[in-house]
Amino acid sequence: MNGSNRLSGLSGLKARPKPSSSEDLDRADRVGEARGFVDRSPRKKPGRKPSKRTFQLHPKVLPDVGQLIADEAEALGLTQGQFVEQMWSAYLEMKNR
Amino acid sequence: MPVIVIASPKGGVGKSTCAVLLATEFARLGAQVTAIDCDPNRSLSRWADRGIPTGISVHGSVTKSDIVPLIKRSDGDGRIVVVDLEGVASQLVSRAVSQADLVIVPMQPTALDAEIGSEALALVREEEESLGRTIPHAVVLTKTGAAMKTRVQKELEGNLKEAGVDLIEPSLVSRSAFSEIFAYGFDLQTMMEDPSVSTGGKIDKALENARSFTEAVYERLK
Repeated sequence: MNGSNRLSGLSGLKARPKPSSSEDLDRADRVGEARGFVDRSPRKKPGRKPSKRTFQLHPKVLPDVGQLIADEAEALGLTQGQFVEQMWSAYLEMKNR
Repeated sequence: MPVIVIASPKGGVGKSTCAVLLATEFARLGAQVTAIDCDPNRSLSRWADRGIPTGISVHGSVTKSDIVPLIKRSDGDGRIVVVDLEGVASQLVSRAVSQADLVIVPMQPTALDAEIGSEALALVREEEESLGRTIPHAVVLTKTGAAMKTRVQKELEGNLKEAGVDLIEPSLVSRSAFSEIFAYGFDLQTMMEDPSVSTGGKIDKALENARSFTEAVYERLK
């Protein structure tokens, strides 16, 4: 009997139900982990993501004003860059009034 | 249609070769085959990049989270699904095994392959117990000698049979065509018919081996 005859019943192969609930997968995971088949998915790169704020301003201000701006940004929980952005929005709003 | 999972936590045992041979032979006989490449080395995808026969679709870069939904989708649409797993012990492997209608564990006839490959067999048995479902599984010896069996191979076959492990006959012989198919793409039949292909070996013998192996796998799927 040649290969094609032997395999002529391919279409007769039926799909069988498989366990796919989250409980079943947890069970498969647990069995695997006990045997060293652990999660080896690539981890995300550790550390802080680079900021999208890349533009550097170079303002020189009077020392007391500079200190007040820095203190206010810290009190608001913002970086000095975010604080400057907020000041810019406020300025635009005022200008367009 | 059946889901065939090729698993071994050891690399280089011939998992991707088994996957390509089964996918191409089943496709040649008219089956629609979904081949799933879970190996970070992308052996199956690299083979597919060079050209695939009609009837095969290949899914690459599959992760632990994707594997079960992908098998479920492919299993339901009347296809044979062949899953080529990564050569490490991972959760992706245990999840794929849980979905299998047949797990094939390729092993070279060496003591090390047998020892590491037996981890996959143990995993299947424990999943059977935990999921309350029979998962048929079998070992195929790979990269065996064409002319004669080595002493180690005879011993390993004896040990596997004694342990009640289903051993697929014939083994996959070490044939250059089996390696060359990854550089050529398509299937062994196409390679044989292309006069420009020279593998330095006998493609017809490789084809005969692949067909007998596929028949033996099919017998286990009925």
